[in-house]
Amino acid sequence: MTGSTRTEDWKAEWQPVIDAVGRDFSSGQTVFGADPVERGAIRRYLEPLEFDCALHTDPEAARAAGFDDVTMPYTGVLTWTIPPMWRPGEVLFDSDERDAQPVRTPINNQDMPLGPKTTGFFGTDIDIDFVRPVVAGERIGRRGNRLLSCVPKETSVGRGAFLKWESDVVTENGEVVARIRIGTYAYVPKNETEASDD
Amino acid sequence: MTDTAARQRYFEDVAVGEELPSVAYPLNVYRLVMAAGSNRDFNSIHHNTEYARRTGAKEMYANTSFLLSTWERCVRDWIGPAGTIRSIRGFRMRSFNYVGDTLRVHASVADARVEDGAGVVEIAIRGENSSGVSVGPGTVEVTLPRRGEEQE
Repeated sequence: MTGSTRTEDWKAEWQPVIDAVGRDFSSGQTVFGADPVERGAIRRYLEPLEFDCALHTDPEAARAAGFDDVTMPYTGVLTWTIPPMWRPGEVLFDSDERDAQPVRTPINNQDMPLGPKTTGFFGTDIDIDFVRPVVAGERIGRRGNRLLSCVPKETSVGRGAFLKWESDVVTENGEVVARIRIGTYAYVPKNETEASDD
Repeated sequence: MTDTAARQRYFEDVAVGEELPSVAYPLNVYRLVMAAGSNRDFNSIHHNTEYARRTGAKEMYANTSFLLSTWERCVRDWIGPAGTIRSIRGFRMRSFNYVGDTLRVHASVADARVEDGAGVVEIAIRGENSSGVSVGPGTVEVTLPRRGEEQE
């Protein structure tokens, strides 16, 4: 098999995904974050950033600014919409291999029903429109998961595709608090593609 | 005047071209682990060097949520508590921000205008590490209170 043929083969595997551009991959239901926004989790979010703003730490200051409680940092729309890693009754870890991965995780490309199986995954770009701040006590989730684009590309880390997704961030009442367009790169790492080419 | 009021920036104080104070984030394992634990991105590429190397990276590297929030902190430090953030655009991760490096967020005022009575400021922003611009450049659109609003 020639190199160019192999190139066509791996790109062709992404065609079903390219054909699905425009499709909403959500089940039609809002996927909510594991927990409501709460003061302790906000405080922990601020720590590695050394992020000092009274709106996020001081309920009195937040109330003086017109909010019912401290507010979530705007960029928390990513964190507070992540579903739980584990639910009662589930097995999360089934291996003592040093770098074993959890049985399932909401942070990867596992739920993608189309295209090649990928093991590498990272975010590439984000655009967000914020409608209003989210306040402690509220719970937020992602509504919709529309695929906007799919561009297969080989990069320095492997072969895969750049995918762009769009969703609304909503409260439990369905109020839109933000709109997100997020790009990801799902790929097969180079060491794995080299092994499969041999 | 309260401390909060003292830290508040007003639209009338802003000049296009003005630079915001830069913020430096030394990226060590401790910080990346704290970031993963607090922002819930537990992908091993962000806290496990061996795993990250098997995915083609040179080292573990900072996660998306952390990088995005470094922009928010830089902007919030400057706009004060009465400012609001309307949008983030052009947040693009151009290269990995590896452990052992320092990420520096730089920003400046790109535009300032009154829009439907609101003081709107566009901030040009980017993250740089030892290899150059690693995040962005993008823009954060914010609103600032106007001095006249205090008496209204």
